[in-house]
Amino acid sequence: MNRFYKNIFIFTFVAPAFLVLIGVVFYPFIYNVVISFSNMNLRHIQDWQMVGPVQYVKVFTEPTEPNFYVIFLKTIIWTFVNVFFHVVLGVILALLLNQKIKGKGIYRTLLILPWAIPQYIVALTWRGMFNYEYGSINIVLTKYLHLPAVEWLKNPTEAFLACILTNIWLGFPFMMVVALGALQSIPHELYEAADIDGASWYHKLKNITFPLIKPVMIPAITLGIVWTFNSLNIVWLVSNGGEPSDNTHILVSFVYKAAFNLYRYGYAAALSIVIFVILLIFSLSFMKKTKATEAAY
Amino acid sequence: MKIIRHLLSIIHLSSIILLSLVLFLSCSRRIDLNRIVIWHQMRVDERVILEGQMKKYMELHPGIHLEAIYKETEELRSGFIIAAIAGQGPDLVYGPSDQIGPFQVMNIIKPMENIFSEAWIDSFNPKGVTWYKGHLYQIADKLGNHLTLVFNKNLLQKAPETDIELIEIGKRLTVYSNGDGRFEQYGLVWNYTEPFFFIPFMTGFGGWVMDDDGKPTLDNRGVVDGLNFIKELRDIYKIIPREADYNIADALFKDGKAAMIINGDWSWAGYKKAGIDIGIAPLPKIVKTGLWCAPMVSPKGYSINVNVSKEKEKIVVDVLRYLLAPENQLETAKQLNTMPTWRALYDDPFIKNDEILKNSQIQIDRGRPMPVVPELRAIWDAMRPSYQAVLGGVKTPEQAAKNMQSLALRKIAEMNE
Repeated sequence: MNRFYKNIFIFTFVAPAFLVLIGVVFYPFIYNVVISFSNMNLRHIQDWQMVGPVQYVKVFTEPTEPNFYVIFLKTIIWTFVNVFFHVVLGVILALLLNQKIKGKGIYRTLLILPWAIPQYIVALTWRGMFNYEYGSINIVLTKYLHLPAVEWLKNPTEAFLACILTNIWLGFPFMMVVALGALQSIPHELYEAADIDGASWYHKLKNITFPLIKPVMIPAITLGIVWTFNSLNIVWLVSNGGEPSDNTHILVSFVYKAAFNLYRYGYAAALSIVIFVILLIFSLSFMKKTKATEAAY
Repeated sequence: MKIIRHLLSIIHLSSIILLSLVLFLSCSRRIDLNRIVIWHQMRVDERVILEGQMKKYMELHPGIHLEAIYKETEELRSGFIIAAIAGQGPDLVYGPSDQIGPFQVMNIIKPMENIFSEAWIDSFNPKGVTWYKGHLYQIADKLGNHLTLVFNKNLLQKAPETDIELIEIGKRLTVYSNGDGRFEQYGLVWNYTEPFFFIPFMTGFGGWVMDDDGKPTLDNRGVVDGLNFIKELRDIYKIIPREADYNIADALFKDGKAAMIINGDWSWAGYKKAGIDIGIAPLPKIVKTGLWCAPMVSPKGYSINVNVSKEKEKIVVDVLRYLLAPENQLETAKQLNTMPTWRALYDDPFIKNDEILKNSQIQIDRGRPMPVVPELRAIWDAMRPSYQAVLGGVKTPEQAAKNMQSLALRKIAEMNE
């Protein structure tokens, strides 16, 4: 009890933030869990009742087109391809920007630009660029590379690829900025010592750069995975709500459609809890495996 | 002494929590009887007119504050549902009539037949007042929201009246000369990713989305023939682009690279602003069936939030009467060429003589009212994948019609379970 009174000062300052958290995080989350066990939908929005795990059973067994497992697989492909290219491009560009090059500031500004443009504008601009006849991508392919034009938005695989390309363009600046920050915090003496020992460029990269940017990159990658997994805007806007034929959905766009197009609130809540559990398990195991919380030095 | 110190600490902690709670709760909106909020999905030119009219109202009624908040159609719908269920939300909600079905089922809008006098309601075109399950739920200021054939008068003097003429004119006005894989000009464009734009073809071949009981009727000859017709326009006559969504079709027409576009009344002002000399014509007749291509027609208007108190209702009603007043509807019609709903205005010289409005009126008369039942949402959702699959060459029109029907039945069952 005494300890409680000793810490009263801390509690006092934490209380307002905690109350806000209750209002904007805990209460909506618990409410979401509750309605995931209910029959809340168009016909039962005011008089909903608890029906047990029915909605969860539907998530895994309902014959939707495409079904949960196909969408889940697409979400995994979407997430890993995106994050892979975000990290690879981001780190390569950060390594280049970390060199002594002329006009570094201009390059840095230009490379951060995709991040600064509102996603809505990015998505619709890219959608226009993917048009079969008038899109700039097909014009480059046919006119300059003499390749056949691609029907980007009409075929499921190409449409999904179009979404991924857009999101890669949009996402690499974040990883680049994070990696650049990490690179700049590496003490220069370590490279000098390696030079004296006669280490090659590759060995310095492998034994100094990568281990020392890892503690910064792992949380950024974890965040990147969670954000990309839950990234509704690009998929929804580039594919115009899952076109063609609902073949470009990832789990969150599918939830959005279930909740707001067809008013299936109970089902959408259950599906969103499933997504939450997937991400929670993944994040915890990824952080544990990569030892992200361990000190670098 | 120790006890007093403990007591003081507890009081201190409680007061901080209380203060936080007060601050937190004060974020929620106070009920202000003189502040009327309207949520709408009007495009920019409509919004400018609305804001001007609201300003005039506030000058006439000092102390009353009107606030219009724009939301995109889907965001407005979902946002209004969430807010109204929680006992909040705007006082008036504006949009097309198809939102009335879900709002009524969820019990979040007020019946209006007892709020307004019968004589006043009778002043409106019956197509502009939306009744559902015996109650009046929406009064419109604009009628239509309908598709028509818009043509560029610099490229075409007279619009086609039949599908045969459409193909002939389309072939003549489609230009492909330099062999670079891109057409210089198309005869006709429209957004053919959305099933809403397929409706005129479906009705032209005798189909319709649902029967009188709200059951989908998508597996029919009208759907199959309509789909075949579009495929022929693209693959055989080559008078429409290989792919076109709303933005591409719109841009092609605005750039003068398309002679005709199928688009709604909301688009006309934009084409004029882009410097295109437009003509409006009713959609053509399908010679084989003898039927006109009939678009869906729906009014756009206001509904009252169920949470509006009796006390506030008087002001809300007064605002609504003002916004729907004939002089305001005429102002909008003159600026945007939209069809008013106030019946007496149909004798106004402008409405009677304006070429665009005259043709728009013909199209409205030939159109079919958009059903307001919630099931329509499931039908759109069921039509979209198969419609796109036909245009993508993945399904035949026959398969598509079958799949549309079975998917619509399943989605309706899911919605209503």
